[in-house]
Amino acid sequence: MNGTLVKNQLIFDFASGSLGPAKSIFASTYLYLNAKASSLNRTFEGMLGDTLFESKGSPVVNFNYKDCLVNRDIEISSKSDFSSPISKIVGPLEDINWKQVYNGLSEFSPDINDNDELKLIKMDPGSSVPLHSHGGKEYILVLNGSFCDEYGKYKTGDIQINDQKIKHTPIACKNEGCVCLTITEKDVIFFGKYGSFLNLFTFIKSFFK
Amino acid sequence: MNKSELSNLMVKIRDDRDEIAFSMLFDFIAPKLKAYFLQNRLSNENAEELTQEVLSIVWSKSSQYDHSKSAASTWIYTIARNKKIDLLRKKANKNTSADDIREFLYLGNQSDKINLSEISDQISKINQELSKDQREIIKMNFFDNKSHKKIAEELEIPLGTVKSRIRHILIKMQRLL
Repeated sequence: MNGTLVKNQLIFDFASGSLGPAKSIFASTYLYLNAKASSLNRTFEGMLGDTLFESKGSPVVNFNYKDCLVNRDIEISSKSDFSSPISKIVGPLEDINWKQVYNGLSEFSPDINDNDELKLIKMDPGSSVPLHSHGGKEYILVLNGSFCDEYGKYKTGDIQINDQKIKHTPIACKNEGCVCLTITEKDVIFFGKYGSFLNLFTFIKSFFK
Repeated sequence: MNKSELSNLMVKIRDDRDEIAFSMLFDFIAPKLKAYFLQNRLSNENAEELTQEVLSIVWSKSSQYDHSKSAASTWIYTIARNKKIDLLRKKANKNTSADDIREFLYLGNQSDKINLSEISDQISKINQELSKDQREIIKMNFFDNKSHKKIAEELEIPLGTVKSRIRHILIKMQRLL
């Protein structure tokens, strides 16, 4: 499946409300940071809104319009204190209590009750993640800074979706490093010099999840 | 009723707190909302509760409706979709705090400069290109949220055909967007 198609599928699934909690947070942060993705979402939502408009109804029997004339407390989020949807869950990125995984690479896992694992990853300037591939799909969204790998350069608001076939070595930008939001459907598989050590580490770590 | 008439009712509800306009909007959209929830496999009781909930939000949060950003039917659809997600997550005992995030998105994103007429143009371009059968598959997959397996059973076609048709539709849409 080509990359754009997988991204569009993610946005359409978001518009239809079929994503689980982790992917829903991931997708809404993506839409927040990426204007193109956001307008695509509005097109899909518009199509689904039209579908609602044209659909056949089923009679409502237990209440009438008067039962809906309630005035609730209206809470309107202020845009100025809103940095991004993920910050709403984990607070400001600069205050996160990062856990170092190995040199130059730290992570933080927000407490989300879902089968998909949502993680924040911080790469120090110039640091790299050893060559690896994935047991399932991996979704990466750049929140800050940028990184490069064999497939190109990714900056704030860019997304990369990798399947099992992709092997890559992400390297953070030399000047500012990189903070990413990721979803891994299954653990990554490392290759190269330290590959077997890192795979063992991932395996042991899985007991403490 | 056409789509802009519905949006005009929504503007009257927002600006004038017009109860007559609300009753007309209610008569048109409430049965459709209930049918949406039923199609999404909620019980009759849940479907009625959520429909009431959605329309109470339409009334009480009408100030958040921006007619330059979306048609009233789209705005109401997103509220209904979010209510459905919340109910399903509550049933599965999952985190429901994402509500605020989704709500923010339809309050209007600052990076989102595209206006309603551009969105409408894109949608009519897509509708012209997609056949009736393709639009039906879109409805079954993304509106009714039926599994590919269920769609295959209902249309009496193999599962692989459903998957390739959806893929084909997405590729076709991608060329137009």
